Amino acid sequence: MKTFLLIAAFASLLITSPSIAATNPPKTTRQEVAEGLTCQCGCGLTVANCNHPNCEFSVPVRGKIDAMIAKGMDRAQIIASFRKIYGEKVLSAPTTQGFNLFAWIIPPLALLAGIGIMALTLSRWRKTPQPAPASTPPTLPAADENDPMRRELERQLRERI
Amino acid sequence: MPLLGQLALALALILAIYSIAANIYGLRGGHRDSIVSARHALWAMCAMVTVAVGVMWNALLHSDFTIHYVASYSSTTLPTVYKITALWGGQEGSLLFWTWLLSIFTAIVAYQNRRKNLEIAPYALSVMAGVAIFFLAMLNFVTRPFVLMAHVPLQGTDLNPLLQNYWMAIHPPSLYTGYVSATVPFAFGAAALITRKLDDTWIRTTRRWAIFSWFFLTLGNLFGARWAYEVLGWGGYWAWDPVENAAFMPWLVMTAYLHSVMIQERKDMLKVWNLALIGMVFGLTLFGTFITRSGVISSVHSFTQSGLGPYFLSFLIGVAVLYAILLIWRVNDLRSPAEFESYLSREAAFLFNNLALIGIAFAVFWGTLFPVLSEAVRGVKITVGPPFFNEVNAPLALALIFLMGVGPLIAWRRTTPRNLLRNFIAPAILGVATGLFAFAAGLREWYVLAAFSLAAFVLGTIIVEFRRGVTARRHMVSEPPVRALANLVAKNNRRYGGYVIHIGVIFAFVGIVGSSFFKTEVKRNVKPGQSFTIGAYQLHYLGLDPTETAHVETIRARVEVFKNGHEVAAMAPAKLFYKAAQQPATDVAIRTTPVADLYLVLAGYDDASGSATLQVFLTPLVFWIWLGGLVMAIGTVIAMWPNVRERAAIAAAVRGRVENAELAGEPFAGGQ
Repeated sequence: MKTFLLIAAFASLLITSPSIAATNPPKTTRQEVAEGLTCQCGCGLTVANCNHPNCEFSVPVRGKIDAMIAKGMDRAQIIASFRKIYGEKVLSAPTTQGFNLFAWIIPPLALLAGIGIMALTLSRWRKTPQPAPASTPPTLPAADENDPMRRELERQLRERI
Repeated sequence: MPLLGQLALALALILAIYSIAANIYGLRGGHRDSIVSARHALWAMCAMVTVAVGVMWNALLHSDFTIHYVASYSSTTLPTVYKITALWGGQEGSLLFWTWLLSIFTAIVAYQNRRKNLEIAPYALSVMAGVAIFFLAMLNFVTRPFVLMAHVPLQGTDLNPLLQNYWMAIHPPSLYTGYVSATVPFAFGAAALITRKLDDTWIRTTRRWAIFSWFFLTLGNLFGARWAYEVLGWGGYWAWDPVENAAFMPWLVMTAYLHSVMIQERKDMLKVWNLALIGMVFGLTLFGTFITRSGVISSVHSFTQSGLGPYFLSFLIGVAVLYAILLIWRVNDLRSPAEFESYLSREAAFLFNNLALIGIAFAVFWGTLFPVLSEAVRGVKITVGPPFFNEVNAPLALALIFLMGVGPLIAWRRTTPRNLLRNFIAPAILGVATGLFAFAAGLREWYVLAAFSLAAFVLGTIIVEFRRGVTARRHMVSEPPVRALANLVAKNNRRYGGYVIHIGVIFAFVGIVGSSFFKTEVKRNVKPGQSFTIGAYQLHYLGLDPTETAHVETIRARVEVFKNGHEVAAMAPAKLFYKAAQQPATDVAIRTTPVADLYLVLAGYDDASGSATLQVFLTPLVFWIWLGGLVMAIGTVIAMWPNVRERAAIAAAVRGRVENAELAGEPFAGGQ
């Protein structure tokens, strides 16, 4: 049961995860659109972050974004229009369609698989406790045995002072 | 002189090959002299690579443009400090520098283990020599640093202006030191697998090397971030660029390893996992170099590209396959009696911590490689940028921070919910109170509220842990609080050094969250005498100030900064033009306070009118990232500090083993 709770906790974190910058107000801003586009001047930054003063890509694109916002277009429409012109490489993140979907789903799936494998392994270990081998240093008493942390710490201090 | 450098590299390669051959001969035939000779060969290899580095530095300092590398990455007007750092400014030089570090670490390991670990050290040194052979082969046959110019130019083409920065002087050496020193625990792990000495000797022997590597990977990443912050001029410090990712991944996996080995040392568990982790760390350091050098993935940090990619990829695959075969071959020997009682235990927390760290590392790896995969499968180039990495990693970062608070306060083996509640009630209250305070202060983004709450919770757990230790010590020996704290840390430096590192991580985390969410930006074209505001600051532009040296032309904007009517700073962002390189660069001006950084960029100017375009960023809490780095560094030094009691315990253990071995009539060859 605890295993499932832990898995559920991690899964819910993943499923409900927002983008760090994903707090879109109804009307978009230049910054929000520009963060969704990659500058094509070779700087490797987004259009929002490229700081080349006379950049042949980001400077005119920012102007075009302003004009499109003024026309009433939303973020998705503006980004789609740039994608039509420059192709997928202009997007700063993969789409969530077709092959690109793998970009998004593989990391959480891998994590869930990791959680599953770990939970299974730990369950197996818990069911079949084995005596510690001779080489293992004697383990300390469980922390819950009578006033846990303090006794543990005092015992350690007594040994080490 | 260039011939001397090339000759030294050729001799170094021969010595590395000889060292492996002598070790094999010595180990197979029991010829001790041969093993000693192999060790001496490694010291000689180090000396030869040092000679080559000396020749290159001498050529750089004297602008000896007969050498192609010097003519390509230096100039007569380049300041002396950058002539020195030009060693790692280009492809051949940086590989030479890498090889030099590797040869130094190999020589140190050979010295440290000249009288101990005699069963596995020769194998570990052979693994290190094998890695050195690859790099020396590259330097001798593929990217030769001492190639001569057909026509000697009067002036060099200069070092890339972006690299003419203080942080670039210390960032690559730090990162390379972190990368290369990871070879030591990897080599001992491989040696343990080869020799079947699979107890924790290899971990204990290389524990400080692993922390040393982590320390420099941490510094390397932070210095690189600081360099990007100061030099690239976009107001940020991290863009999830492939090269940044390549430096970040080994750090993540090494962090997982440093936590995971504690479980093996304590409970003799996770042997396969720990060996796999250190293999991954080493593989990722090679992967990082492959990315930087190959040009497979374009990067703002990649200043050198060559045909090295296929060689690195082949080496990386070869190492990965060999190591995996070794690991699978020994997997039955690595099985240990697993002792796991409860999910409410420290080992469970450490395992989830490992999962989160490896999960982030995998997500970064996947996102970094996905453009290549997309092009290969669909023939379509795509970009995987910050939105992807932020979205995928943000929840995992929260989970990791939460576990950082939980781990230290719960006991090994098991703890009861009642006990958990008692230990965590105060930190939990602190966390919730922080969240409520942030909400009352107007913050509404749930991620920020959760992040700040968790940060406060973790700090609370660390404070509780220190307080508990000091109180117990005062009960025992009646010391005043400050002395009790000092003695507590000194006598348990590994544990409390770790907590200090956690404090640093929390500081950096708060800085990252604050600066990611609340950055504001203003761009204004202003004439001398005009003012504008950003946040609480009023900026008054005074005019342009041109200066010129033999090396660089500078146009500096003079800006007075006022807050609440009082002048608080005079700032001077600049545009630079490097004459020899014929390239422009940006010199930003930053005013740092614990609350926010005021960051000024001279984005453009007009000589005739004296007007300037100023781009200004107001970024909260960036200061805490650098402070966090400093605290992490201090914590690492505390954790690594030689502990007299620990040494005495190890010496006693070794003595015990020698006596047992003598009683059993066996030659003693292990120990610490």
